[in-house]
Amino acid sequence: MAFKSVPVVPAGEAGALAAVADNRNQRLRRPEISDQTQIDPLTPLYCPDGAIALTAGRYAISERLCKGCGICAQESPGIRMVPEYTGPRGILN
Amino acid sequence: MTDSANTAEELFGQGHAGCKGCGAAIAGRQAMAALGRRTIITVPASCMATLGGGNTQTTWRTPFYHTLFECAPAVASGIRAALDIQGVKDVNVVSWGGDAGSADIGFQSLTGAAERQEHMIHVLYDNEMYMNTGGQTGSQTPLYAITTNGALGKKVRKKNMPAIMEAHGIDYVASANIAFPADLIAKFQKAAAKEGFSYIHILAPCHRGWGIKPDQTVDIARRATECGLWELYELDQGRRTRTYEPGLTPVADYLRAQGRFRNLTDAETAEYQAYVDAHYGGWGGKN
Amino acid sequence: MSKLFITGSEAAALGAKLARIEVLAYYPITPAFPAMERLSKYIEDGELNARFIRAESDHSALAAVLGGSLAGARCYTVTNSQGLLLMTEVVYHTAGLRQPVVMGVANRALSAPHSRFPEHGDAVSQDASGWIQLFCENNQDVLDNTIQAFRLAEELRTPVMVNYEGYIQSHTLEEVAAPDQAGADAFLPLVRRPALDVERPQGVNTVTSPEFYPSYKYSQNEAALKALTLIPAIAAAYNRSFAAASCGLLEAYRMEEAEHAVVAMGSVVATSRILVDELRKQGKKIGLIKVQTWRPFPAEALLRLLQNVRYTTVLDKNIIFGVGGALANDLKAAAYGRLHTVINGAILGLGGSPCGAREIKEALEQTEKSEGGGNRSVWIGSDPPAGGTKR
Repeated sequence: MAFKSVPVVPAGEAGALAAVADNRNQRLRRPEISDQTQIDPLTPLYCPDGAIALTAGRYAISERLCKGCGICAQESPGIRMVPEYTGPRGILN
Repeated sequence: MTDSANTAEELFGQGHAGCKGCGAAIAGRQAMAALGRRTIITVPASCMATLGGGNTQTTWRTPFYHTLFECAPAVASGIRAALDIQGVKDVNVVSWGGDAGSADIGFQSLTGAAERQEHMIHVLYDNEMYMNTGGQTGSQTPLYAITTNGALGKKVRKKNMPAIMEAHGIDYVASANIAFPADLIAKFQKAAAKEGFSYIHILAPCHRGWGIKPDQTVDIARRATECGLWELYELDQGRRTRTYEPGLTPVADYLRAQGRFRNLTDAETAEYQAYVDAHYGGWGGKN
Repeated sequence: MSKLFITGSEAAALGAKLARIEVLAYYPITPAFPAMERLSKYIEDGELNARFIRAESDHSALAAVLGGSLAGARCYTVTNSQGLLLMTEVVYHTAGLRQPVVMGVANRALSAPHSRFPEHGDAVSQDASGWIQLFCENNQDVLDNTIQAFRLAEELRTPVMVNYEGYIQSHTLEEVAAPDQAGADAFLPLVRRPALDVERPQGVNTVTSPEFYPSYKYSQNEAALKALTLIPAIAAAYNRSFAAASCGLLEAYRMEEAEHAVVAMGSVVATSRILVDELRKQGKKIGLIKVQTWRPFPAEALLRLLQNVRYTTVLDKNIIFGVGGALANDLKAAAYGRLHTVINGAILGLGGSPCGAREIKEALEQTEKSEGGGNRSVWIGSDPPAGGTKR
């Protein structure tokens, strides 16, 4: 078999997952910010995935990191969950 | 949604391999917000250990080490010793175990490190069952909770870990809850400033094990404190302070919302309520 | 160099002190405890600048020194028998993390039944752990091997176990020539390679998939194989620095024209030397091979010495049930298709039972009787009888 190039001490690069993670396929629903003024400032600390942040005075949710758990929408009236997929459905639906 | 939101580098959590709505990951993110970059963290076998990285990639931006199950506080003791001998003083050394890795299989090394008053913080992130193996009963599983190997519910009470740790006479003992991040962060900041051993016990629900929806993780955790089953308090050099005054809602609001308590009878619910009424504030209701 | 009259425990402690260990952790156990107490005294007396972690178990002791090593310190621990078994999980883990921890093991028999006496069963239980395992013939070896172990471990990035037998070595005084501190410092330059470092964070021991796992194991095995060349080189450097006579992998003693070879490790080597001298006086063509490095197994070096030998008696102070002694088993595997010698594995000295010249001689006689009779172990000792087991 082809051996991988590995470090001597088994270890992973710090923070590397943040750069490559793509959690979109875990979502059935996605959070949508409907009102910036109705977001609890603690919401970023409730997010398990570090997917929501306040930057330049506005909250934004990462398309890539969000797994669609819905905690942010539970905690903040300014966020609501919408279906991830809105296109045509197959015969079973 | 946008991708600009994740440009802010988080010390832990972005891209982790845990479930959606993971309570452990929330606990980790809140704690790291307090601890900062100069922190070495050891995590024994647990969801927290495995969700943190795979192969050559990790979500941690601080030094992280996935230890064996029984010994994270012992490893942390060695790390502290090594830092001391190298004259490194400004690094937090943390062992972060689940309920099994702290209260059960990991208890020996925890009590050892606490008794030695090692300069470190031990965190028990508590999802009240052995979730990394699918959700079996452990010492931190509460009375009557149904688990994957206890379909009839647990017959005995949860072991009171903060009380046990208090008995070690360590610098700092605190309970915390992911639904109260400001309180949690303040406690980590206090612990990090101590010269000796600190113990922080965080209630961090696992929606899979608890039979709740992923989006209820924080809400259910909050109810645990609001109903008095998870008092938020600290013992700073032995001085006990309640850090949040809840409304003391009925325990049923917390218990009945969870699948793991689906078989709870009215009498059992009343028993829970009576227990909270008698003991809120510590054993014998001392506060 | 200075001449000292010290026990094996003191030699182990002195070796660790000369190596200027920085983190020490242990959990008391007999017969390893005198080495532990001596190290603690060095620290308390200010002769050794190290942090001591009073671990609450052997498992935690090794875990603590592992933590110290991951954070860049030179670390040492001592244990034996049940302590080593309790540590086992961490023993394997330390090797997998490639941490240069050095551990002294005051070999003692394993329970059950309970025994506190010398035997190699504990070390043999760690056979596949990935640690380099050195065995000491005498207290000089304990000191020499302990010092060399740090250089070996750090160059190879693999932990090293230094085995010396309980009581026979740990509690017995012998004359030992010791390097001075300046010489030891020059021999053991400290190079820190912290895996846990806030300046260069990384995640150690991540969940590893089948794509990656074999690569780590392959590199671990390569390191073990590299030890077969590194150990003699380090021994040669040590001997040059300190006018010592450390043998590295193994030593051939009076093997010239030998027809019968004794192969052994640990204290029974010293006894075998006396017997070989005696038998040579009687005109018997007999020699001795001291196996100092047992893991990795120095197969090629051993086979070279046994090319022209008719009988080989392997002395094992351990038993792998249903298989035989570990050393004999290794030699038989290595010799397959390569040697024509009769290899007789002799089990003796278990649980502190006698393994003096008389027992070794009995083993030799059994070997010479068993020509063509196959390679099975004989049990040496007054009871049970050789060649069989007692109900």
